[in-house]
Amino acid sequence: MEQQTKIEPEVILCVKDLVVKFSLRGQELTALRGVSMDLYRGESLAIVGESGSGKSVFCKSFIGMLDKNGWVESGEIWYGGTDIAKYEKSEDWIRLRGKEIAIVFQDPMTSLNPLQTVGVQIREALELHQGLRGVAAQEKVIEILSDVGILEPEKRVKDYPHQFSGGMRQRVVIAIAIACNPKILICDEPTTALDVTIQAQILELLKQLQHKYNLTIIYITHDLGVVANVADRVAVMYAGDIVEIGTCEEVFETPRHPYTWALLSSLPQLGVKGEPLYSIEGTPPNLFTEIYGDAFAPRNRYAMQIDLLERPPYFEISPTHKARTWLLDPRAPKVTPPNTSIATAIERNARHAREVKKVFGEKLVEIRNLSVHFGNSRKPFVAVNNVSFDIYKGETFGLVGESGSGKTTIGRAIVRINPPAKGEILYGGKRISGKIGKELDHAITQKIQMIFQDPMASLNERAKVDYIVSEGLINIHPELSKAEREDRVQCALRDVGLLPEFASRFPHEFSGGQRQRIGVARSLIMEPEFIIADEPISALDVSIRAQVLNLLSAMQQQRGLTYLFISHDLSVMRFIADRIAVIHKGVIVELSDTEELFAHPLHPYTRALLSAIPLPNPKSEKSKVLEVYDPAIHNYTVDKPSWVEIRPKHFIMCNEHECALYRKKLARENGEA
Amino acid sequence: MSKVMTKMNKMSDEELFKFIEFDSSRAESTAYSGYSYWKSTFKVFMSRRSTRLTLYFLILLLLFTLLQPYFPGQKSPTEIFINPETGRQLRSHPPGAEFWFGTNTIGQDLWARIWSGTRTTLLIAIVSVTSSTVIGIVIGALWGYVRALDRVFTEIYNVINNIPTTVLRMLITYVLRPSIGTLIFAMCLTNWVGMAKWIRNLIIIIRDREYNLASRCLGTPTRRVIVKNLLPQIVSVVMLDVALSIPGVIGSEVFLTYIGLGLPVETPSLGNLIDEGRRVMMNLSQTYQLVFPAVVVALITIAFYSLGNKFADASDPRNHV
Amino acid sequence: MEIIKYILGRIGRSIISLFLVLVIVFLLMRLLPVETYYGDRTDRLSETTKQAILKDLGLLDPIPVQFWNYLKGLARFDLGKSLTYYAGKPVWSIMAPKIGYSLRFGAASLVISFVLGISLGILMVRTKEKLPDRLGNGFIIFVDAVPSMVYYLAIQFIGTKLMSIGMLYKENNFTTWILPVLSLSLGSIASYAMWTRRYMMDQVNADYVKLARAKGLTDKQIMVKHVLRNAFTPMAQNLPSSIIFTISGSLYIESLYSIPGTGGLLINAIQAQDNTLVQMLVMFYAVLSVAGMLLGDLAMMVCDPRITFTKKGGAR
Repeated sequence: MEQQTKIEPEVILCVKDLVVKFSLRGQELTALRGVSMDLYRGESLAIVGESGSGKSVFCKSFIGMLDKNGWVESGEIWYGGTDIAKYEKSEDWIRLRGKEIAIVFQDPMTSLNPLQTVGVQIREALELHQGLRGVAAQEKVIEILSDVGILEPEKRVKDYPHQFSGGMRQRVVIAIAIACNPKILICDEPTTALDVTIQAQILELLKQLQHKYNLTIIYITHDLGVVANVADRVAVMYAGDIVEIGTCEEVFETPRHPYTWALLSSLPQLGVKGEPLYSIEGTPPNLFTEIYGDAFAPRNRYAMQIDLLERPPYFEISPTHKARTWLLDPRAPKVTPPNTSIATAIERNARHAREVKKVFGEKLVEIRNLSVHFGNSRKPFVAVNNVSFDIYKGETFGLVGESGSGKTTIGRAIVRINPPAKGEILYGGKRISGKIGKELDHAITQKIQMIFQDPMASLNERAKVDYIVSEGLINIHPELSKAEREDRVQCALRDVGLLPEFASRFPHEFSGGQRQRIGVARSLIMEPEFIIADEPISALDVSIRAQVLNLLSAMQQQRGLTYLFISHDLSVMRFIADRIAVIHKGVIVELSDTEELFAHPLHPYTRALLSAIPLPNPKSEKSKVLEVYDPAIHNYTVDKPSWVEIRPKHFIMCNEHECALYRKKLARENGEA
Repeated sequence: MSKVMTKMNKMSDEELFKFIEFDSSRAESTAYSGYSYWKSTFKVFMSRRSTRLTLYFLILLLLFTLLQPYFPGQKSPTEIFINPETGRQLRSHPPGAEFWFGTNTIGQDLWARIWSGTRTTLLIAIVSVTSSTVIGIVIGALWGYVRALDRVFTEIYNVINNIPTTVLRMLITYVLRPSIGTLIFAMCLTNWVGMAKWIRNLIIIIRDREYNLASRCLGTPTRRVIVKNLLPQIVSVVMLDVALSIPGVIGSEVFLTYIGLGLPVETPSLGNLIDEGRRVMMNLSQTYQLVFPAVVVALITIAFYSLGNKFADASDPRNHV
Repeated sequence: MEIIKYILGRIGRSIISLFLVLVIVFLLMRLLPVETYYGDRTDRLSETTKQAILKDLGLLDPIPVQFWNYLKGLARFDLGKSLTYYAGKPVWSIMAPKIGYSLRFGAASLVISFVLGISLGILMVRTKEKLPDRLGNGFIIFVDAVPSMVYYLAIQFIGTKLMSIGMLYKENNFTTWILPVLSLSLGSIASYAMWTRRYMMDQVNADYVKLARAKGLTDKQIMVKHVLRNAFTPMAQNLPSSIIFTISGSLYIESLYSIPGTGGLLINAIQAQDNTLVQMLVMFYAVLSVAGMLLGDLAMMVCDPRITFTKKGGAR
């Protein structure tokens, strides 16, 4: 930790005790509770926190772009010798925005003006901040476009935003920010709306640009993997305050605040199969009420009496590392921090896989040559193309793919929301796709249940929790009396860790994690055998994910459930899935046991996915080599691909030529091992 | 705060730095607000004074319109009054104590005629809007919910939508005999189309929301899905459309009367009264015969229209506390 | 190529609509009691003359034959003869000279309402929730809610009685244009103002406007370069409804001010129970509004680069 203190870095932006408030329907919300921070020239600082932690508000206050109902109550923001927190007129901010501090927003789909060509939008910034006109401006536009990695920039200049993919649009947004020639670039969740492989490319691009244009970058993110990848320093925010700040290595390797501990140890990547994940219970505090003491105290397992009474000051651990927690007070008892090393977790997982061989019973679900089409029959869009796999009783089968890969469609085909165009689906040996008898229909409605991705959209806002949870029960067991039904609802709520009195409330009273648990209760009350979990945690905050994952594992152990777990996130899969199928553009390209897949990924797409996942480990992240998948590498014109079992239980989509190569590779890898 | 401070001062360091027991209910606590969608909608709707006043005004007006004939001292809307001095019809008698709104050109009491006309016009408006709403909801629900029908209905809609409703209404009333039934029929036949389109668009948005998919996974029958999941979302739009359609129908009635396709003069309606007033309005001493019915029409239509808008605002959950 | 396909398809749909209107009008007309064809001479006519009149009009043929003759007539621009109002005169020769007047008024009011409506909308956005915005809202509610007849009459009364503007239309007297054009424009002004305001408000909250602000553009630049331009695009869609507004308005206004246009003619024809004339005028208005709808869609196509011309088979 010594080396970075050698040259005193130059502070480019300095924030002191910043308090920002919002008025929301007559109530006052304190979004930032006295935040202080220094930003050094040329560094990349990551601000990490859950939704509502105030990280976005914090950065917006640097360019005077708080929402209309928000204001700086007190505090200072020093930039270039002026306290910009005192700015009131928009003319003051105009001098700063773009020219000094530019911003990249989260959603590239809405960040661009749909009615102007990208060239015009980049040029606007150039004219404004670099005074370029005419041919010079046009040339610069093309130069910047090629800098952000857009191929054939001369042609694409004239295209409209809708002619670009999501990743490409984000590149254009970045190009606009670059065109302003700023000193500081704020990236507000720049990759959250993008696929993993695209995300990795964008992060790579930002790093290159930082170097080329001497930028100071602030990343706002909730993803610790992204932080490990890009950040020099990390600030952890909780409930409107920075609770810990330090270099990337310090925060990841020797975290000192109990919230950072909890955040890091609840990552699925650190989980060990068969053991519950560390989880932070409860929900973040309500910022409408005044907070006494440490805001994290109610959820903190190491909370002390003083945490409820007085707000902790910053304790300095090293010149670059400080944390706001009473645990660092010399008077506090000594605590051994939980293990947050990802290397240990991976090793323990591998051991677990070697030692505990899960034995699976008979086939429960069989998917045979399934194809699903959308749109009209003349020009169908093939969402799923000739997919076959089996799911065994008691296992967790993971289906991994990016958006648009058809993974959700497969899940929905099994619950008969999307009818198959070709092929069939068997459940317990009986065909359940196409036209089936009423009795079978009734039986599988009860046996197969689904958990949805978005806890905000998957609960009916106009119905009480009581009805939502009992909905299936009314259909399956209409003979139950009202009292019996209520009994079972209470029981189901208790099973998922919610209070029985929640039954009489409307869903909007609950946080994302609680809502997702209501969704789980709704499925469990049917006493299903097989549950399709469609990205059940991807819409949740990091600290909440572990709760839901633990709940799902516990239910599997207690009730012998079988899961089809659909996700885009391979690292979550490693913790939860027994076998994994990787799907790309409607085709399953590789399928094998989890550890085998991680140890010997063969298909180039699987390898690309694996290399793209950001791991919460700064060492491996910063040195990782990104593999990019280009479908053009397959030459399938003559030598057609087929589904090959390359090793026992390891399947791959390849042609004969590729198959030979993969076999050689496997042999070589085994030889080394 | 001071309480906290004193508490702190009393404690020793040892006490202060002692671990406290973890309380999961404290961690799980959420601020419970007892929110209910309809209660909030109602509260927001009634929170503005101008809205409340408009609502009370409209209720009073409707009640009065309904009960007016039973009040004491009311005259018949069709009786032709005779001037006792001349023995002739009491033509265009200016407003006064006897005839509050004066008499019309053939000596009928304008006050009584206006309320009678309001009854007729509101009858036409409410019956036709209600029935076209029902038709619109049914067709819109089918259109939106049954995928196979979407294409067909959309094409039909595109064709019908090309024909201006005014012209269609005119043609229907021209062909049929002028009567209350004809007017209701003509309005109804042209009104449901817009409603159906609204409902369809809404249902398309709501249909594929995850909670509806969840209902399908749980095997909930379509009827209950519609009642429990879809209708509650649609009610506010329906209310808005009803509130905005009523002024539209009233306007149409006035228009059809003007071009000679309205109700016969024996049946007073707001359209008839305005048309009668129009004929004499250039004669300053008789302008009141236009002004009174025009003001009543304006009040009623504006009240419906603005209440509909206010309700739509109030039913938007974003405006709830 | 796809653009042409799209345009052809859209025109095809308009033609189908028109044909359907044709059928509806034809069938409705057959529902009319035959007495309406005898004019006011009903009681004096002998049974044989009545039959002769009907035969002459082709009303005794079977319905399909009648329909065929009707189509043939339309194809040859033979729109039939007026029955009562201008008895015996070919309908086309009655209509033709009047179309010019109506189009002139319609076009004038469309232009005026577009300019005034959008200006009002912009003014309302700029003074959001202040007095001009409130007044504008009041105006919109009034015009939208109250039957147009009421304010048409009010304008006529105020204009002629209090401001002594000539009431009846005279071709060479410009002042006689003011009141009818003003009346004709009010409805469209209100609707343009309302939509301009709504679209601009939507745009102001859009993410790309936030980005533009973060870029360092001033509020004024954002308004002009981004918000206004983008709010204009969906306005193209309102063109048809504005045309329809104007059409319905012209029915009253032309007769209120004795403008010798088609709107006034339709009312006279209705009052005279001139079936063929009514039929043709209704067709005429249907053609106008179908054309308006078509125009709106095509305008939308020109303004918005996002409209794709291939039907998306896309996700559910």
